[in-house]
Amino acid sequence: MQKQLKFFKMKLMPLLVFILFGLALNAQQTVTGTVISQPDGRPLPGANILVKGTATGATTDFDGNYTIEVQNSSAILIFSYIGFTPKEVTVGNKAVIDITLIEDSSQLSEIVVVGYGARRKSDVTGSVSSVKADELTAFPVLDAEQALQGRAAGVVVQSNNGGEPGAPIKINIRGNTSINASSDPLIVVDGFVGANMPQAGDIESLQVLKDASATAIYGSRGSNGVVLVTTKKGRSGKMVIEINSTYAVQSTANRLDLLNANDFADYQNQVRENVALTTGDPSTPYVQGDYDTDWQDLIYRSGNTANHQISFSGGSDKINFYASGTYFQQDGIIVNSGYERVSLLSNIDAQLTDKLKVGLNLTGGSSKKSGVTTQSDGSVTVGGDDVVSLAMRFAPDKGVYNPDGTFSTNDKIGDKVDNPYAVATQRDDDTEIDNFRANFYANYDIIEGLTFKTTFGLSSQNTFRGIYMPRTLEVTAGGGTDGRAIMTEDKTESLLSENYLTYKKEIGKGELTLLAGYSYQKTTNKGFYSEGTGTISDSFSYYGLWTATNLLNGGSGDIYVNETEIQSQFGRVNYDYDDKYLLTATVRRDGASNFAENEKYAIFPSAALGWKVSNEDFMKNYDNISSLKLRASYGVTGNPSIGAYESLASLASIYASSNGLTVPAITPYQNANPNLKWESSYQSNFGLDVALFNSKVSMSFDYYNIDTKDVLMFDNSIPWYFGNYNDEIITNVGEINNTGFEFSVNTRNIITDDFSWTTDLVFSRNKNTVEKLIFGADYFGDGAPSYFSVDNNYILREGEEVGLFYGYEYAGVYQGGAVPTGTATLPDGVAGDPLFLDLDGNGDVTNDDRKIIGNPNPDYTWGITNSFTYKNFDLNIFFQGSQGGDIFNMTNVQLNNGDSNTTYEYYNNAWTPENTNTNQPRVGNNSSREISSRFVEDGSYIRLKNIAIGYSFSSDMIEKLGLSNLRFTVSAQNLLTITDYSGLDPEVNYYGASGDNNTSSNTVRGFDFGNYPTVKSVSFSLNAKF
Amino acid sequence: MNTYKIILLLMGLSIMGCSDLEEEPVGLLSPDGFFSTVDDLQLAIDGSLTHAINEEIWGRKLSVSLMLRSDMVKLQSSQTYRVEMDMHNITGENEMVYDPWTRIWLGISAANTAIAGAESVSADDDIKNPVVAQAYFARAFYYFHLVRLFGDIPYFDRPAGEEADFSVGLTAEEEVYDNIIADLEFAKTWLPETVISRSVPSKAAASSYLALVYLTRAGTNDMAYFQLAFDEAKEVIDNSGTYVLGLDPDFQALFDANRIDASIEPIFALDYNANEAADNSYDQIAPMSGVRGDDNEEGWSVVAPTMAVYDSFEPGDYRRDVSFQTKATIGGVPVDYTEFTISGHEHAANVPYIAKYTRYPGEYAKGNKRATSHNYSMMRYAEVLLIAAEAGVEIGNPLALTYLNEVRGRARNGGQSTSGGYDEATFPSSTIPMDLSNITVADVLEERRIELAFEGKRWYDIKRRDLGNQVFSASGYEGAKPDFNPSVDYDTPIPQDEINRNPNLAGL
Repeated sequence: MQKQLKFFKMKLMPLLVFILFGLALNAQQTVTGTVISQPDGRPLPGANILVKGTATGATTDFDGNYTIEVQNSSAILIFSYIGFTPKEVTVGNKAVIDITLIEDSSQLSEIVVVGYGARRKSDVTGSVSSVKADELTAFPVLDAEQALQGRAAGVVVQSNNGGEPGAPIKINIRGNTSINASSDPLIVVDGFVGANMPQAGDIESLQVLKDASATAIYGSRGSNGVVLVTTKKGRSGKMVIEINSTYAVQSTANRLDLLNANDFADYQNQVRENVALTTGDPSTPYVQGDYDTDWQDLIYRSGNTANHQISFSGGSDKINFYASGTYFQQDGIIVNSGYERVSLLSNIDAQLTDKLKVGLNLTGGSSKKSGVTTQSDGSVTVGGDDVVSLAMRFAPDKGVYNPDGTFSTNDKIGDKVDNPYAVATQRDDDTEIDNFRANFYANYDIIEGLTFKTTFGLSSQNTFRGIYMPRTLEVTAGGGTDGRAIMTEDKTESLLSENYLTYKKEIGKGELTLLAGYSYQKTTNKGFYSEGTGTISDSFSYYGLWTATNLLNGGSGDIYVNETEIQSQFGRVNYDYDDKYLLTATVRRDGASNFAENEKYAIFPSAALGWKVSNEDFMKNYDNISSLKLRASYGVTGNPSIGAYESLASLASIYASSNGLTVPAITPYQNANPNLKWESSYQSNFGLDVALFNSKVSMSFDYYNIDTKDVLMFDNSIPWYFGNYNDEIITNVGEINNTGFEFSVNTRNIITDDFSWTTDLVFSRNKNTVEKLIFGADYFGDGAPSYFSVDNNYILREGEEVGLFYGYEYAGVYQGGAVPTGTATLPDGVAGDPLFLDLDGNGDVTNDDRKIIGNPNPDYTWGITNSFTYKNFDLNIFFQGSQGGDIFNMTNVQLNNGDSNTTYEYYNNAWTPENTNTNQPRVGNNSSREISSRFVEDGSYIRLKNIAIGYSFSSDMIEKLGLSNLRFTVSAQNLLTITDYSGLDPEVNYYGASGDNNTSSNTVRGFDFGNYPTVKSVSFSLNAKF
Repeated sequence: MNTYKIILLLMGLSIMGCSDLEEEPVGLLSPDGFFSTVDDLQLAIDGSLTHAINEEIWGRKLSVSLMLRSDMVKLQSSQTYRVEMDMHNITGENEMVYDPWTRIWLGISAANTAIAGAESVSADDDIKNPVVAQAYFARAFYYFHLVRLFGDIPYFDRPAGEEADFSVGLTAEEEVYDNIIADLEFAKTWLPETVISRSVPSKAAASSYLALVYLTRAGTNDMAYFQLAFDEAKEVIDNSGTYVLGLDPDFQALFDANRIDASIEPIFALDYNANEAADNSYDQIAPMSGVRGDDNEEGWSVVAPTMAVYDSFEPGDYRRDVSFQTKATIGGVPVDYTEFTISGHEHAANVPYIAKYTRYPGEYAKGNKRATSHNYSMMRYAEVLLIAAEAGVEIGNPLALTYLNEVRGRARNGGQSTSGGYDEATFPSSTIPMDLSNITVADVLEERRIELAFEGKRWYDIKRRDLGNQVFSASGYEGAKPDFNPSVDYDTPIPQDEINRNPNLAGL
């Protein structure tokens, strides 16, 4: 140790000094020049220039100009640009080197990052989608994940909650392979496995690995796909300062047309008279209140976002750096909702010797989300915490305040709830997340072709959440509650160490690449939850938890420490023969502490073949085919989502009372489950990459089939009389299949000196089939708020797709007289009531008359981007769409139920004795929030996701300002949506009574209730480079 | 050269963590080797007993379903599962069946875990047995509910989990009763005569329950069991001094959360502590039985007695005043029960409501008087007197009259109650003498109905005395319940989900 310390003093201190002053070191010769692209003859901005055998490099500016410093005249410069054939030039004594780069006819020389390495895109045998940096920043997004929507085939991206500031974004690659385990892809950032996504502006490249050939190198964590992200690095040469600023104004994309106070009173009277027709009891008239309140108007406002990023990058011939800071701020379109975030990133790489390169990625950030509750699970006071659904439900003839100054409540119809404005403004819900990640690497060239790389990283994430419901919310926290405070804290820390060797060797016409490595990762997750009621004062918000007279002891799940370890060996062989035949084989062996006693280790193999048909002699005559490659792969990957300790027998600590005091106590929790293991996906993939007409058109097609076995399901066969607190232990029994087809097409339609037009299209189709469920039995779940008291409105059934709607088949309005054959009404049906198919023919509508009534899974999704440039202007139009998925309009179930406000659509069209030619039953009919096909609608849509116009100032205009690039962009998001869906927005994501957990995010599809509205926004962006 | 040092250093840093992948959980309780002291046993015993206070048992589901199944409480709401309880067409899908079923088994399993765990506790019997006897009591308490509700049931006297346990069959009712009696005898032998709180099982609790078990087993005509029931109850009565038991002079105190702790009447109680505990481990009976729209924390008006039930109480009987809520302030307007529907709510009814839960809940932790401080007596001294009286009449013992008049006498005391709503009022003692001189079994059962009204006892009395056809006829307090069929409805169906798990429980 002492020796090492001495080593540190002797060698590393000068190194640090070197790092600090490296930037100032002068090289001996300066070369400048311009890079021109062929065939269009225009300057090529962003081309890379590298001094061969060093890390020294430069990038051309907007006008294709570069400056680079070299050590001596024998230095060789390599000029490269994606899609162009690289060129090498010896400097000699030239001070100016102008270069013309010629477009590579294969257009596939692009390098893509794969797990533990990189490959030329043309040599990739797996299914990999690349998303370009400029696509990720085409319009302002909160998270880089959001920018993936519609950009990569086979990748479905959705906000967890409409336009909520700070809402998590879900990525789903090729359908979901699980029911109860997570379907989130593995995110790998600069080699760190399981990292958070960096800021969009800091991302250099992003690859989505989709098939088993590409993901099996990540073994038990590969089956949901892998997103590989590389952050920006500095280049040697002139230091670049870049500023990106965006400001956006937002508003609700849509609102519901709800009754005003007068019409509402009339509606309530109709409801009461109609209910009396059912019950036979006399009705009491509705007494209209004194107000006319538009609750949507009160809770919505215009929002705004601001995003500012500044980055510095540069370097010398041995060291380069990139450092960036991003500030994001959003005021949500619902009062009191907002989000704020600061993120920092720094990458330093140093070529210490000819053979040794080291680097450090550091990133950290802090965010704060001020929330309002929307799309509530319904568990708190009959949905009385949900601002959006309350604004629709709440009586419009009530004011915000009672005459005594307290907040009004909904006390005349339905369940008593607090008013939406009170809930939005009084309730606090803050989430603060801090994260930090450091990843160090060293790369050493041992001998020609053999490289050793070691990485060591640490990441941590802290999440604090505080919720406070003040006593001013009479229903939620008044009465005996006197304020309710909740605080939670969660910390996840992960340590990762990886070491691997890469060996490259050319053998005759073949090229062999070998990879072998070892990885160890340890993750600790700990936290607590604390809740109390009876605080001294509302003014302390949730910090008043300490004053709570009743601390609510939540039980063992509320304080936790979970530690998991995973250790792995992995290897890969790539063999390319004659640039025609490609072979990739990978294997990973994972051992994980959370796997059960009998199943500690798992092996995940894969193999893939590629054939570059266009390089065969017999293709030489087909000039129109620039390149053609066939790919096929097969492999096994896993999903390890078993919680720590989940396979062990245990006792639960529970609340207990003895002698009127809370005392510690235990109760049996579960028996041991020594055979619990990961889920396994067996995936085959067939692909075709083709480029035509001098690469003006390039296309990629993929077909895949994924059989997922050992899917985790809850075994409800453990008898209750065992007396286990956990009566449904998790076990490996289910099977799911995903089959799909996806393609992307990129065309360069017109390329001239002044004008260009390119089109990028992605298309994905996935068909999901439930193959096997526990005991073959249907699996039901609730996609409704819990207070709806409806059970089982979606179903998983063997042979069907996931998450189908389940309920009665609506058969129109009962017109009185004889009930039409094959249909029935609910009990006490009279004219105007809904009719349903009477499947069992017993004359009544019962549970046995329920059937599958809708399919929320879209047939296909797509995205299309058209980019135009004209002189200094550019225009980018991005449409995105989804076809064929159904939506269950749970909002209308509530609004048509009689015990809340309703829409004009229903009020005006409902059946009356005078208006019998309608498909809408009478108001106040005899159904009580029934789940039927009446509320199933087509959720297909086409959306103009983004339209952006940019102007880049030419260099002669801005050089005086010391700028190398200056660009303005005006863009608009969600400006136009074409859909038949009658609700607020077709991009719905309500999770039902269980809230957002693994099961609901995998199986609850297409339900709409109380979503934070999707926003329409107009953005102004500025990009400046010095 | 230096670079090699760097490499070595890096490798030294990075090749760490060759793990055996064994999980060593912190904060996870493993059953292996957990029990080593009597204090460890107490943890599982407290766990077992506390399951009874959960919403799924006495907090709501079982207590309310026992009320609904009796002839004294009518359903005001329309949920199917509650309608089934009220009208006796209960299916195996009913959540008021399976929630109590599952929760009771949690209580039994925790008790069995304590009893099994006692074997690895090395302490002398006189140290260990008084503790583990609580687990025997808890097990008997739960099985007694199960056997009265379901008849034949699976029976375990150890933690379940073996392969054969998945397909176990039903144990006959008689055998279950034998086991309950054996458990209570063990408990009676080892439990202390007095305990710090009536929520802790005592010798008197075991003995009183033994008397009730014998009485239940006697049915309508088994004299040997009536004799056992009488003897056991009399033993409690004779030892009431030792056990510090007696009738509380003020009947209202039994239903006043602030006075009940000091009362000598409860023998075994579920002691709520105004805690909105996790997993619904708190009570909701007060709002379930409270008046809709009541400005005093608004009840939900789910269950209410019928007018006939109210009228069946003598006007001068203090117990009528204590048992019924006849006044409320609704929307600022003081009204009596003839105007309770001014709240305009569909569940409201113009009848006197149950007052035993909503009137004096003490401190409560959640709106609508949820999570109260009540102590609910599962067994109180008055019931022991009535057990002795009933068994005494059957075997012809004259003490029966004495015991019955004792209970009636206390009801004539009057006490500190209210004037029907929440306004405090003193109820005068009755001038009507304790006039009974010649009593029948029916008189004792009637006294039980009045004295123990709405306390979850009546349905079990109807079942053990086979009163169904009589009390659910048109002349019953709730009017005719035509779906009642004595050949099937005395036994609750075992939850269908449980039969799906183990078809051997179908019982046919």
